[in-house]
Amino acid sequence: MTLTGEGLQPSEFALTAARAVADCAALSLREQARHLANDGLLGVIAGQDVGGLDLPLAFAVPVVAAAGSGLLGFPLMEALLLGRALQESLPREAEAVVSGEMLATIAWQGSVDAGREGESVVLNGWVARAACAGEADCLLVRLGTGTAALVPMDSEGIVVEDATGLDLTVPEHTVRLQGVIIPAARVLSENIWSLLCSEANVLRAAAILGSAEACLTLAQEHASTRRQFGRALSYNQAIRHALARQKLGLEGIRHAITRSVGDEAGALQRDAAFLAAGVYGSAISEGALQIHGGMGFTWDVPVHRHLRRVRALQAQGDANAALAALGRRYVGAIGPVADAAISG
Amino acid sequence: MTVIETEPPEVAATGDLSGEAYRAAMRRWLRANLPASFCSDSATFSPPTLQQSIAWEAAMYRAGLAGIIWPQAYGGHGRTLREHLIANQEIGAFAMPESVNSIGKELAGPIILAVGTEEQKRRFLPAILEMRDVWCQGFSEPEAGSDLAGLRTRATRDGDTFRINGQKIWTSGAYRAQRCLVLARTGPLEDRHRGLAMFAVRLDAKGVRVRPIKSIDGRESFCEVFFDDVEVLQSDALGAPDEGWAAAIRVLEIERATNRMYRAWRFENELRHLISACKSDPVLAQLVADHHYAVRLGEVVVDIEVLKAHVETAVDALVNGDRIGARGSLAKLHWSEAHQRFAALALELLAQASLPQLPAVQVARRRFEAIYLQARAETIYAGTTEIQLGIIADRILQLSKGK
Repeated sequence: MTLTGEGLQPSEFALTAARAVADCAALSLREQARHLANDGLLGVIAGQDVGGLDLPLAFAVPVVAAAGSGLLGFPLMEALLLGRALQESLPREAEAVVSGEMLATIAWQGSVDAGREGESVVLNGWVARAACAGEADCLLVRLGTGTAALVPMDSEGIVVEDATGLDLTVPEHTVRLQGVIIPAARVLSENIWSLLCSEANVLRAAAILGSAEACLTLAQEHASTRRQFGRALSYNQAIRHALARQKLGLEGIRHAITRSVGDEAGALQRDAAFLAAGVYGSAISEGALQIHGGMGFTWDVPVHRHLRRVRALQAQGDANAALAALGRRYVGAIGPVADAAISG
Repeated sequence: MTVIETEPPEVAATGDLSGEAYRAAMRRWLRANLPASFCSDSATFSPPTLQQSIAWEAAMYRAGLAGIIWPQAYGGHGRTLREHLIANQEIGAFAMPESVNSIGKELAGPIILAVGTEEQKRRFLPAILEMRDVWCQGFSEPEAGSDLAGLRTRATRDGDTFRINGQKIWTSGAYRAQRCLVLARTGPLEDRHRGLAMFAVRLDAKGVRVRPIKSIDGRESFCEVFFDDVEVLQSDALGAPDEGWAAAIRVLEIERATNRMYRAWRFENELRHLISACKSDPVLAQLVADHHYAVRLGEVVVDIEVLKAHVETAVDALVNGDRIGARGSLAKLHWSEAHQRFAALALELLAQASLPQLPAVQVARRRFEAIYLQARAETIYAGTTEIQLGIIADRILQLSKGK
């Protein structure tokens, strides 16, 4: 495999990822980590020095989309992002994540207070929306200062609690930190945390894309094979138009992701990809459920699993707050008429 | 009257420019030459007359802002589609009037390039770019709106000419046009989309009658056009006989996917104008800072980003040699509905302005009231929303219709 990305296309990773995700179905979390690592999927964007492929974020998109489509029960997005975020300041940990030896995750909600004591930092507080934290070796938590710290889960003072959550295959946890002491070297800079969060939005959009695509496929198949009033459901314009709207949303997500990983993309494009994916993805999965009728409300039809995951990802990225923040930033950057020419 | 005769030095220089340098040259030219009174975000806004519009668009063409990708042999600038996108991004950033010849430049021109003879290309294309010929589109009929294959206007061969009889409707700008791109039937009605041909009909020909229809925004822009035994020369028939439907489909695909490529960037100009006007008013400034409107304005920003993504994807596809096909319906559906949502939000916000209304708010209200009304047509023209959904269901999803 070419490590530089030259001549390699992101789409080439889709098939490998889909196969690996399918293989993971019956494996434990740690077995999944090793399996995904063996296929090179945990280090797609991490540097070569830590065992990664050093490819641009665009190459992680089909991998995470395949995980979404296959309902992978592993914190893949977190592993991908941590492999790169840790590579400079904590290369051993980065290497362990990329090789699948260490199970690491991220608490996406909340932050903890950090007090400096010599070469150590003492952490106190609550964080939440940490995928698979119950089995993880390390947890990245946001500090109140805007930085982040990698906390070993066997540290004294850590209490992991199960949390209610919609996603059935990637359980979320709440974690309490009471006087947890870590070396100051485990604190990552504000820039690294900020970039990680921004890139997480692209990968969340990718996961939602995978789920949305799976839902539309299921809905389309059902509409084409289920017969009512002597005809396939897809004969009816109401069903055809509903599916067409789902397709519009799906392509909107796909194109927004493509734009968000382009050469000129910034935080706005990454946020927009996530926000569009949340809106369209939930509409597609809810719409797919509706098209299945009563069957859609049954446990066995997997549409609800995707719907659960899409909603969990939306909440994980705090979509409403992100949308308001995007709106505020946009409004804040524009002056009143007297101060600014609009045209041009 | 505003005189537009300038041809600044960068016009000649753009031949060697590409990428960002090309963008900068286009932006410089627009800033230097676009009259403020043409811009609907200006306090001095006064819609240009037809003659002013024609002069302005001819100047834009000379500056390299029209016919961008058309071959130089036919008056075009021979540039790439990516440069076409760059130029359109710059055009979109200004609140300038819509082209009075977009049918010529974005529908008739491309179809002539695709199916026209060499003589037709040399005759029609430079005249479009130089604004000597303004075109309109004669597709819809009273009995064939969304169901275009049911059109009844008939073209009958008469020696070396054709005789056209019938009626077109919703023909935007017919009152100001020299030519009409007419889709007419040469075979029986039962043949549906077979037996259709396309013609470049002169609107000053004997037997043509144009009747404007007043639209909800008070304008009389779109029209009925009646053809009473109108003689059309063989040399004005576009494409081989019976290829009309295929050509029409190609036109409609182009129309949906690439026309007014600047649209996303114009939406952005509109959004910036709205926010700027709101921030000039003490009550509105408070409102747009609140969570509720921050969220709703954020939704508009996301809609615009998604539209840009649709446009860029279409450009990438075309650059890679792909046909746009039915995918143009996705972008059309998105922009038309997104623009209506935005226009409604703009009206809602501006209605809450303080009294007495500040000039900046008055300018914005005038602009957005017009946009709101005009946006109601956007989910109707170029194929209604329902038609676009049908196209996506039929041609992209390929859903079964059978029993």
